[in-house]
Amino acid sequence: MPTIIACFKWVVDEAYIRRGSSGELDFSSVDFKISEYDRNAIEEAVRLKEAHGGKVIAVTVGLPGATKGIKDALSRGCDEAVFVADASFENLEPSQTAEILAAVLRSRIPDFDLIVCGEGSGDLYAQQVGARLAEHLAIPCVSFVQKLGMDGGTLTADRKVEQYTEITSLPLPALVTVLPEINSPRIPGVKDTLTASRKPVATVKKDELPAVGEPRLRTIGLAAPRMDRTCEKFGADDAEVTRFADALRKKGVIR
Amino acid sequence: MNFKLTEEQELIRKNMREFAAKHVDPIAVEIDENSRHPAELFQKLAEGDWLGMPIPIEYGGAGADYLTHIIAVEELSRSCASTGFTVSIHVGIASMPILLFGNEDQKKKYLVPLAKGQNLGAFVLTEPGAGTDVMAATSTAVLDGNEYVINGTKTFTSNGPTGGTYLVFAWTDKAAGRKGMSAFVVPREAPGMRAGEHFKKMGLRSSQTSEMIFKDCRIPKENILGQEGAGMAMAMTGFDHGRVGIAAQSVGILQAALDESIRYSKERVQFGAPIARQQAISWMIANMATDLSAARWLTYHAAWLKDQKQPFSKEASMAKLFAAEAAMRHTVKAVQIQGGYGYIKGAKVERLLRDAKITEIYEGTSEAQRMVISGNVLR
Repeated sequence: MPTIIACFKWVVDEAYIRRGSSGELDFSSVDFKISEYDRNAIEEAVRLKEAHGGKVIAVTVGLPGATKGIKDALSRGCDEAVFVADASFENLEPSQTAEILAAVLRSRIPDFDLIVCGEGSGDLYAQQVGARLAEHLAIPCVSFVQKLGMDGGTLTADRKVEQYTEITSLPLPALVTVLPEINSPRIPGVKDTLTASRKPVATVKKDELPAVGEPRLRTIGLAAPRMDRTCEKFGADDAEVTRFADALRKKGVIR
Repeated sequence: MNFKLTEEQELIRKNMREFAAKHVDPIAVEIDENSRHPAELFQKLAEGDWLGMPIPIEYGGAGADYLTHIIAVEELSRSCASTGFTVSIHVGIASMPILLFGNEDQKKKYLVPLAKGQNLGAFVLTEPGAGTDVMAATSTAVLDGNEYVINGTKTFTSNGPTGGTYLVFAWTDKAAGRKGMSAFVVPREAPGMRAGEHFKKMGLRSSQTSEMIFKDCRIPKENILGQEGAGMAMAMTGFDHGRVGIAAQSVGILQAALDESIRYSKERVQFGAPIARQQAISWMIANMATDLSAARWLTYHAAWLKDQKQPFSKEASMAKLFAAEAAMRHTVKAVQIQGGYGYIKGAKVERLLRDAKITEIYEGTSEAQRMVISGNVLR
């Protein structure tokens, strides 16, 4: 009976980010959500459990206020959750998150069989946490996974590489990072949501963990991208059509 | 005071939004045009426990509070007011009275399948000559041995052609006045009950509406809900619950009208700028957003009172009155903002306008709501 870990990040729902008058990002009325690809990770972990038995433990590192994220993950079929929470965990770097996750898994769930992560997070999309976590735990890691199969102690993972599919096989325990095409995450039913808070949640505080390395990146500024639009009108006669074609050529749209 | 929803309510709202975007939006235009009941959609709603939300788990429901159900009806109606309404009527006005007044056997036999979404509920009160004037009804139920025999013609029955369980009101003692009406649970297969043709309507077209004809319809006498003569009070309690649902449906329509107006007015360029920059347009949107907020909080307050086990009849009427009239007022504006494009079939605002009108009419007209409210405040 495998023990499967599904890692997820509780991120700002980008639909709520407003653009201020001078291009700054306004986060004052944002809501949060489970990062898109992490929903695929949770779904895949739960599907594997439904097919092979065992249990799924959702693990996240974040702010203490992210309790809704824990309930969201549990409503999606995870059996328990480990919530590593601290007020200083707002802008963790991928290297720090990976360190924390590794420490938590080593001390709390050392007998896991498989770790499933999203390919990248919805906010940073650095694609670092999965690979770094596998390295810390000294287990094999396969990224860009679009199909997973489990047979006893062996995992098969289809990787999407450019226009090819690479079919890999690896021994458990292992870690995979999954792409959105691997599955279509379920929409939790009402009962799933209402009963989520009855499932066990272990909260881990910062002082229970080894010290985390210093951040290596510094954010200097954050601004909305500017998209310049121009509008040029053309007529329908021959001369205008020629002028239109020239304009497209000039912009490199046609050759 | 606490205006914050619970985390569960927020998650359920998001889940319903996602459900509606995935399963309802793609068919909303088609089911409206064809007046089609989307049975396949209701199968999915049943699987997600959306059809018995406030019914306790032991009776097949999800055990949510009423406010959570109301939020789901709002989000569903934002995509399709017909679908939101069908859920509202099924839960609020058909299932809730069985939960509140039914005995254990009736709940097991009729409420459990309703809450699980195995069949749809209908509320059968209105007659051709008895709309707001309920006392003018003429249908009768006469006890004959171990059976009641129901005779009469009902009309404008929502879920009439597609229902499985009907809450039917008829006089058992007309001379007793308000205390002479009784309520019965009638299963679809009851001999002598027949649904008429589905009416073609201006809006709310995928909701199925028909006459219900009772000709010596015989049902076991244990199918009476509560005591003989208690029907009128049960109908009023049903209305209290149902009206909060209609208010939520109206709020969903309003939210959709606002969504559409914001989207369109930012995209549509006239006189060299998006029309959202024209005060004529931006003020329409400001009024829309303000009334939406007022309607939503009136609605949530009524549902909250119900969950607190406090009287909520007046508040249900206020919410329904205000939200319905606001939905009508602002869907007209939403079409105006989109001009000719909003008048074309397939434009969402065109459907919203047609769907909004009925909210001022059914489950008590706006005039009937004013009767309830004035009766309460002038006491």
